[in-house]
Amino acid sequence: MTPHDDSLAPPDTYAGQVLDAQLHLLDRQVLDTDGVPVSTLDDLEITDLPLDVSLRGTPAPTIANLLTGVTLGTRIFGGRPPSSRLTRIPWRHVTDIGVVVTLGVSGERLDATWPERWVRDHIVAHIPGGRHDPE
Amino acid sequence: MILSDLLNRPVLDAEGRTLGKVLDARFVIDGAPTQLLAEARLAGLIVSPHTGTTFLGYERTDENSPWLIAAFLRWRHRGSFYVRWEDVEMLTERGVVLVAAYARRSAALSTSIGI
Repeated sequence: MTPHDDSLAPPDTYAGQVLDAQLHLLDRQVLDTDGVPVSTLDDLEITDLPLDVSLRGTPAPTIANLLTGVTLGTRIFGGRPPSSRLTRIPWRHVTDIGVVVTLGVSGERLDATWPERWVRDHIVAHIPGGRHDPE
Repeated sequence: MILSDLLNRPVLDAEGRTLGKVLDARFVIDGAPTQLLAEARLAGLIVSPHTGTTFLGYERTDENSPWLIAAFLRWRHRGSFYVRWEDVEMLTERGVVLVAAYARRSAALSTSIGI
């Protein structure tokens, strides 16, 4: 296929920003409101879709949460981590999507950054000089 | 529902014939306003008859370089098309079932934020 295949109906145009999940969202870096890296975008959670039920006339699903987590193992061996092991960042926190995904909240308040906070508070803080910025 | 459960899933026509796999899901930020951005609704699915994986989206853009890679990836995604969400009849264990009168549309990105 080429982007302009004459055998197909012309592409749809939309008033809003168009995002192809794999192309524009997955694996993008997520920054908080101060530009500090929070995580990478590993997956998306969309509003639930029932199985084996006609979807005609039902509203299209929407993105509910950005998902992040430890996905290295499943990327190598296949599958995906259980839903309960993924950390959720609500879509309502997203302010901009471009080369990176920008949030409107501080990363300090998000569950996605707890390992970093834990290492800072329990390990780095005990190293001499670890409680202040380098001079 | 987790999006990766939808990606790579077989796509079937109303008579149960396999048309391909879900290559990508196209969202549009034009839903109900929320705190910051509007809701991102699922506008449709990109279906590829030959593969369920994509790389850099050559099949959806006018990008032609490096030529060899662009040509190979376009060939790999030959026959790919876009279906509106309205053309999806239901999700089953076997895959995504389309309505009988579904329309194959070009998957080209007419408005793009770039990659």
